[in-house]
Amino acid sequence: MPAIFSRALDGHVRQAGIGLVVAVVLVVVGWYYYALPSYTRVGYTPEQPVPFSHELHAGKLGMDCAYCHQSVFESPHATVPTSRTCMNCHDPKKANVKGNSPLLAPVRASVDTGKPVEWVRVHKLPEYSYFNHAVHVNKGVSCVSCHGQVNEMKVVRHDKELSMGWCLKCHNDPHEHLRPVSEVTNLTWKPAEGKTAHEIGAGLARDLKVKAPMNCQACHR
Amino acid sequence: MTPTPHDTPHDPLPRIPLVWGPADYESVSAQISEITEKPQPYWWWPAFLISAALLCGGILAATYLISTGIGVWGSNVPVAWAFDITNFVFWIGIGHAGTLISAILFLFRQKWRTSINRFSEAMTIFAVICAGIYPGIHVGRFWYAWFMFPLPNANHIFQNFRSALLWDLFAVSTYFTISLIFWYVGLIPDLATLRDRAKSRTRQVIFGFLALGWRGSTRHWRHYEVAYLMFAGLSTPLVLSVHSVVSFDFATSLIPGWHTTIFPPYFVAGAIFGGFAMVLQCMIPARAVYKLENVVTIKHIDVMCKFILATGTIVGYAYCMELFIAWFSGNPYEWQTFKNRAFDGDYTWAYWVMMTCNLIIPQVFWFKWCRQTPWFVLIVVTFVNVGMWYERFVIIVQSLHHDFLPGSWGQFHPTWVDWLQMIGDFGLFFTFTLLFIRLLPMVAVAEVKGVLPMANPHYHYVPDGQYLKGENGEYPTADHALAAAMGPPSRPLTEVRSHPEPVPALVRTPGSDGTLWGAVAEFANGEQLLDAAKKTVAAGYGRVDAWTPFYVHGMKEAIGRTRSRLPLFTLAGGLTGLASAVTLVFYLMAYYYPTIVGGKEYRSWEAFVPVMFEMTILFAGLFTLFSLIGLCGLPKFFHPLDSHPTFNRSTQAGFFLSIEARDPKFSADETRAFLESIGGKHVAVVEA
Repeated sequence: MPAIFSRALDGHVRQAGIGLVVAVVLVVVGWYYYALPSYTRVGYTPEQPVPFSHELHAGKLGMDCAYCHQSVFESPHATVPTSRTCMNCHDPKKANVKGNSPLLAPVRASVDTGKPVEWVRVHKLPEYSYFNHAVHVNKGVSCVSCHGQVNEMKVVRHDKELSMGWCLKCHNDPHEHLRPVSEVTNLTWKPAEGKTAHEIGAGLARDLKVKAPMNCQACHR
Repeated sequence: MTPTPHDTPHDPLPRIPLVWGPADYESVSAQISEITEKPQPYWWWPAFLISAALLCGGILAATYLISTGIGVWGSNVPVAWAFDITNFVFWIGIGHAGTLISAILFLFRQKWRTSINRFSEAMTIFAVICAGIYPGIHVGRFWYAWFMFPLPNANHIFQNFRSALLWDLFAVSTYFTISLIFWYVGLIPDLATLRDRAKSRTRQVIFGFLALGWRGSTRHWRHYEVAYLMFAGLSTPLVLSVHSVVSFDFATSLIPGWHTTIFPPYFVAGAIFGGFAMVLQCMIPARAVYKLENVVTIKHIDVMCKFILATGTIVGYAYCMELFIAWFSGNPYEWQTFKNRAFDGDYTWAYWVMMTCNLIIPQVFWFKWCRQTPWFVLIVVTFVNVGMWYERFVIIVQSLHHDFLPGSWGQFHPTWVDWLQMIGDFGLFFTFTLLFIRLLPMVAVAEVKGVLPMANPHYHYVPDGQYLKGENGEYPTADHALAAAMGPPSRPLTEVRSHPEPVPALVRTPGSDGTLWGAVAEFANGEQLLDAAKKTVAAGYGRVDAWTPFYVHGMKEAIGRTRSRLPLFTLAGGLTGLASAVTLVFYLMAYYYPTIVGGKEYRSWEAFVPVMFEMTILFAGLFTLFSLIGLCGLPKFFHPLDSHPTFNRSTQAGFFLSIEARDPKFSADETRAFLESIGGKHVAVVEA
């Protein structure tokens, strides 16, 4: 009876087996790299209708975050400033800082018509998760912890994962990320000489009664 | 040969063979293989099309459910589990007979299992597939089904390893995996038989791939037999654990009617009961239309009916005990639920359907006529299947609809989607079963060959007129007369069957460079081969191998080999699984995301036992499979011996002995002459 398969087949089958294992490993590794929020969200840098530079305003000029995002200490939302806030400096009839710049045309139009500038939202949490800005900043969590070095960004980019696992890492052990409430909006703050962030955080956690909740309904209400 | 007391000519109670009538290795191979080789009987296509249509209905129902939402089912508070979990438990239960037959009866050396184990194992797999659909679709969002598995994810959340539902996932997926492996490993020698019998190129290639290059080498049988024992040993506690864990889904809750310690043994007994009923339901018609009465004898049906009687009575005892304890405990919630269940509730009818079908009707199996009349057995097992479905319906729906507070009582009304899904499951089951019958050997051919009288070197043949008669010349029992009516067993061949063309002294192989692989000779039966192997080893040859259609007892020692080391791999697998499980559950539940469940300490280990157990079995099974394949050097699709003109008999009825050219004592002419001198036929030297 003649052989069914050729002599070479066994070698090919073993090669294919190794190839299959390699392929599966690549797919799994690739999946975990490309499908997680660390890839899908981080780096998102949409073009805004007005090329507002945080690097200039918050960095070089040293404006406080809360000057524009003014309800961050009182409200769940940090709030995007109204066009009127821009006009505190850029109004041609008042301070007139670059009051006639064509780049600011959408802002002036917004003030005239009353329709807001259509900023593109960068950071968006799912609707089933509840997040409160006020609670976080009042317990000493800085803007920089979740938004990155905004004071160095010409165009705002999505800097952190903002995934549930990422939230939980801090909730599980928040000391590293705490600073005095007065320094929350100081994006260049460093712990004083001779002290680690952890030591400062431990003290603050005691003083501010920081008890980051680990239960489901803290965020999923 | 010394006659044993049981086999003396005047044995007062001669042992009835397991296969009746004149069957030999060749005829058994042909009888089973031809079912898949010849066109199917006229009823096959209509039966298949009806099953497939029902299956399509089930697919339609599942699609509608997934696209619309879980609300299309009738399940709603308080009866949040209804047809879905009823069907899940029903099918998981059906899936228990196969492993019981293949594993537990194997460990107890009940050799009659060989005629029915393949069929029942196949039904186990199909039933578990039917059951596995429900955990997938009853969550509504099918695409999130992967949330059930502990995979690393961006949410950093993991399953609750103290939940009975997660135990269930581990138990059912382990059970499916191990059953599938067990079934496939059992199939390998038979797939090789189909490959070697195949006439068309397509069948040769398909079965050639599936058989992985099995040729019946004793060096392979040596690992195979031990691997099979390992699988049986792993499956035995596994099969008992699966339905226990399913019962925990209910028993660990507080619902009256569920919260009972009797559940695990009661569920396991019920599963075996229902599983045997379903096996008989499918086996009896298949046995009749494919004329398998000599292999699946009336005694097989008789014994299975006894199993049904025994387990049915255990289940009936559990029903009565539940009722008694509900009253005797004095717990008002428990008693009102059972009073409602049995006497004055909306589902009393279902309770009494269950009682009648499961406890009362199977009692007819005390009578021999009832056990040995196939059409009657078929009717009874139909009642059992109905009764077992109602058992799950009663436990789930009745308990839920009438819990602690009258304010939360409510009715359940199935919708058309519920019904279509349930009927679709039967469609799925019968579609798979019909395809299995059509495409794969439904009886374990190699194992049946091993239990034929001719495979037993100590079998004492008597003159035909004396067959199965006692010393007074009468049949001792009616069963002896039945078996004798099909004729006495065949005797083993004493001469090698001839081949139309002479076998050349040097067999050329395609693509060979002219070096030699070795010499091979054919022998007439297992005893001659065993004898020849011993002589060959005694003559100083080392690289000897025997190639047989089934494992011939004593052959591995005859070719100079010892017991396989494969169990070490199984042990390594079990320890790996256990260590992985311990690491997984303690890391996740006590360190990574410490969770308090049921007021237990983070590190309290008791509720982790089911997951640890299932992972131990899973890894041990996978290691056994891979070590079997590795130790045998499979897959090996090309072998020089394939070119020998009669070698493909080695998976049917041929017995071969080979000596490799690598043996220092090998010399083409002398070795060939030696093989001829010890009685070998069709002797040839084969190119590498």
